[in-house]
Amino acid sequence: MEQLYAERLKRYVTAMRNEKPDKVPIRPFVAEFTAKYAGYTCQDVTHDYEKAFDAVCKCAADFDWDAVVGNMVYVWTGLTQAIGLKYYAVPGIDIPVDTGFQYLEPSEEEAFMRVDEYDALIEDPTGYLFNVWLPRVSDDVSAMDETTSYRNNLSFLKGGMAMLSYFNAFGPQGERLRTESGTVSAIAGILKAPLDILADKLRGYIGLCNDLLERRDKVIAACESLMPHLLHVALSGADPDKNVPITIWMHRGCVPFISEIDFREIYWATLKPIIEEIWARGHQVLFYAEGDWNHHLKSFAELPDQSIIYHIDQADPFEVHRMLGDKFCLSGGLPNVLLSFGTPDEVRDYCKKLIDGIGRDGGYIMDSSAIVQNDGKVENIRAMTDFTREYGVY
Amino acid sequence: MSERQTQDGTFKETKVKPGICIPWDEKLKELPEISGDRDIFQKVWEDNEALAYMYIWQCLLSF
Repeated sequence: MEQLYAERLKRYVTAMRNEKPDKVPIRPFVAEFTAKYAGYTCQDVTHDYEKAFDAVCKCAADFDWDAVVGNMVYVWTGLTQAIGLKYYAVPGIDIPVDTGFQYLEPSEEEAFMRVDEYDALIEDPTGYLFNVWLPRVSDDVSAMDETTSYRNNLSFLKGGMAMLSYFNAFGPQGERLRTESGTVSAIAGILKAPLDILADKLRGYIGLCNDLLERRDKVIAACESLMPHLLHVALSGADPDKNVPITIWMHRGCVPFISEIDFREIYWATLKPIIEEIWARGHQVLFYAEGDWNHHLKSFAELPDQSIIYHIDQADPFEVHRMLGDKFCLSGGLPNVLLSFGTPDEVRDYCKKLIDGIGRDGGYIMDSSAIVQNDGKVENIRAMTDFTREYGVY
Repeated sequence: MSERQTQDGTFKETKVKPGICIPWDEKLKELPEISGDRDIFQKVWEDNEALAYMYIWQCLLSF
């Protein structure tokens, strides 16, 4: 098993350095699909991370994958419930048992960060998050001007201990994947772009769009104030061996969600230095470019060779390869709709197109376009895996 | 107290350095004169600060 692990790690890392391994690595970001395959519901794997870990291990043992995420469902609603977070729709409480958890963005009026709070965020982001943001996003945490409560105190105790318990469980999960199936843990560490965080968890997308017009300087200053913290968090979770990448989950920082000027002057201006600093310290970043970021490929090409792995979601894989293939490893590009509604033959045909078109010289990792939820068909995941293993030999 | 800047100065100084919520210098003012190993108090204080820091930033980024 250890030899298999070493072969897979070498294959995966070689491809990520945009070089040619022995075979095309397979690294599917399978989320609720693992529940479906292992006989669990979405509720099971979302609310009990041990079941989520079991489901991943079962898939890793049954499919010939080089790398997977220890738990791609990731948001453990046991933890979010312990803290009292109110922005999740939880399977079995807010949504059906076999629907994946949902993120609920509040209305503009109910945004977690008010429009007149930019200066407080800019002055001390950590203090702002604890003192203002957390009481707003939690049903249990008391605001600074409120009397404290039993629920408030328990939120910090249970939340802190639950988070530590969860994070500490990823080490054994990685070891389990390694020893049971010879599978590599695909990623380590999290990054989000400053502007994405402002939209996702603070001002909301509509609030942020208004702010970009009405108080642009404050938005820029807020993004700049978040930069050192986002860098620190990314590095603190990174792989000490510098094999697997930190992942940035890219949301609504592209055209047409924001303008080209806002992308260049704010989104990219405050993200690019973080990526460069991470690379200077020897870590790659996996650009999980959710949606279609083709409009910005020229900007991404400014980054140092090999510094990122570019994941293709809705974009044209062949255009991405033409623009970035010489510089960076690419991953993904296999449409989720095909995995959900297509036939195994159609999946094999598309995998062939990807391997021939963007993987012929190495520097490509087979994966779906977006995370695979429980609508992915088992036979199609099997077709993707077996075809790539057989055909994707250099 | 500030985060170090990169060579081209792209990272702004922060009021409290990343990884910390309440700086050791601030805590130190509350304490009587420390005898023995002063550094051990700062190290352990900052190690625990890092846990609180991780908590809130992971809430923001991951959960």
